[in-house]
Amino acid sequence: MTIQMTASPGLRPVQAAPLTEPLIVFEDVAKRFVEGRTGRVTTALEHLTFSVREGEFVCLLGPSGCGKSSVLDLLCDFERPSEGHIRVESAPVKAPGPDRGIVFQEALLFPWLTVLDNITFAPRLAGVPAAIYRPRADRLIALMGLAGFESHAPYELSGGMRQRAAIARAWISEPRMLMMDEPFGALDAQTRLSMQEQLLVAREATSATVLFVTHDIEEALFLADRILVLTRRPGRVAREIVVPFGRQRKYEALLADPIFTQIKREVLKELRSR
Amino acid sequence: MTQSSLSRRVFLGTVSVLLVIGIWETAGRLSLVDALLLPPPSEILATTRELLQDGYRQTPLWAHLLLSLARALAGFGAAIVTGIPLGIAMGMSPVLSALIDPFVQFLRPLPKLALIPLVVLWFGIGETSKVLLIYLSTVLTIIVGAAAAVEQVRRLQLRAARALGARGFTMFRFVILPAILPDLFVTVRLAFGIGWTTLIAAEMIASEAGLGWMVVNAGAYLRTDVVMLGIVLLGATGYALDLALVGIQRWVTPWAGRG
Repeated sequence: MTIQMTASPGLRPVQAAPLTEPLIVFEDVAKRFVEGRTGRVTTALEHLTFSVREGEFVCLLGPSGCGKSSVLDLLCDFERPSEGHIRVESAPVKAPGPDRGIVFQEALLFPWLTVLDNITFAPRLAGVPAAIYRPRADRLIALMGLAGFESHAPYELSGGMRQRAAIARAWISEPRMLMMDEPFGALDAQTRLSMQEQLLVAREATSATVLFVTHDIEEALFLADRILVLTRRPGRVAREIVVPFGRQRKYEALLADPIFTQIKREVLKELRSR
Repeated sequence: MTQSSLSRRVFLGTVSVLLVIGIWETAGRLSLVDALLLPPPSEILATTRELLQDGYRQTPLWAHLLLSLARALAGFGAAIVTGIPLGIAMGMSPVLSALIDPFVQFLRPLPKLALIPLVVLWFGIGETSKVLLIYLSTVLTIIVGAAAAVEQVRRLQLRAARALGARGFTMFRFVILPAILPDLFVTVRLAFGIGWTTLIAAEMIASEAGLGWMVVNAGAYLRTDVVMLGIVLLGATGYALDLALVGIQRWVTPWAGRG
């Protein structure tokens, strides 16, 4: 059910399927939860099949409660699938490490550490020498607009700055894969836009694979190479959209693009129809 | 609290205390109350001077205070050293928690004075029994508080830490331990209040010195001035130690309550 935007001038050619297995593969995955007290079974995901190739920026788009976050929980081995198979780098999922970063809706910084110590937590834990992680930290701090706040405590920062520090903290280990669970959901509109722009810049600089969960169509269209629209619970892929806007995106230009509006309208219809 | 509202609070508190002392003194001077039952502050001050010089029952006043402090801090310290690790272990291991919890929950609300006869029978009337009683009265609160603190650590925070590579010991040392520190301080303060309260009971076991003993002994001889002095000293020392704990808490966990 891929939308082919053949008429658009900004269309990126759809790549031929590579011979190697994609970085992330979900095969007919189901996730059911048994409520402890009532014993009632909730099916969060069912027949979920998709894959993410190396270097792709994929958005999982769906209404609240469609099991989007369950996808990340499964991918991080926080939860086990009830059915189906998940493979990351051609191997069964394992707990996330610094090579597979994750950013949550809340920053979840460690309140007892300074901004710098939060950002450098993973490399310090892994015993990486300061000579290696410190220049990276400085670059990320500058990139994320946190310069001058290195020795501040998290509670001295605004919500947006905290979230940027959390992104820097996940990014410092140069993960091949970054999973983001509505990371900008709690921010105001202006901050969100500037965070989205910074994310695109940072991503362009590192070419990491990103799996980004959101319920915001515009956000998905602005950020993603490909969007997977999920159905309501039980969630599965209802539709796949290859976003035809190249990598150098300007939000204002996108808003004026008729294709942007067209895809947005179709996705809205898709989400409403279920 | 802002600086000005804090100094205003201190000012009002001081005024209130001075006012009460003033009324108390006046009531004593005008013989509105029997000085034998409620000696006025000036008499307690005189008694303080007398006891500082001659001591009470062959023991200097500072020795009474020091002995009480030593007993309380020994029991309390032992409770911290054993209770915190045990509580943390219970918080982290549901099995251990299930094994130990029945005993903790049975002993915790039990009035510790009920244990005095057993403690005396088992450990005699020496210092061991007194310290043990203070230990018992504080350790259970500390165990429960430490276990609850561990259970309070947010699952999402742990997941975030796991994604950054924290596992097993490093998770405990660099995430769980700092995360529970603020709660541990609250627990320790609560426990200290209970331990200091138990001091009097502990010093009723065949003592010859200590502030608690002094109060009880002076009561038996109708020395209400000495009783009052003992009460003031017990209260002030407890207050000072609590303030010290708060100071350490602010210094060690400045982020507490601002997550």
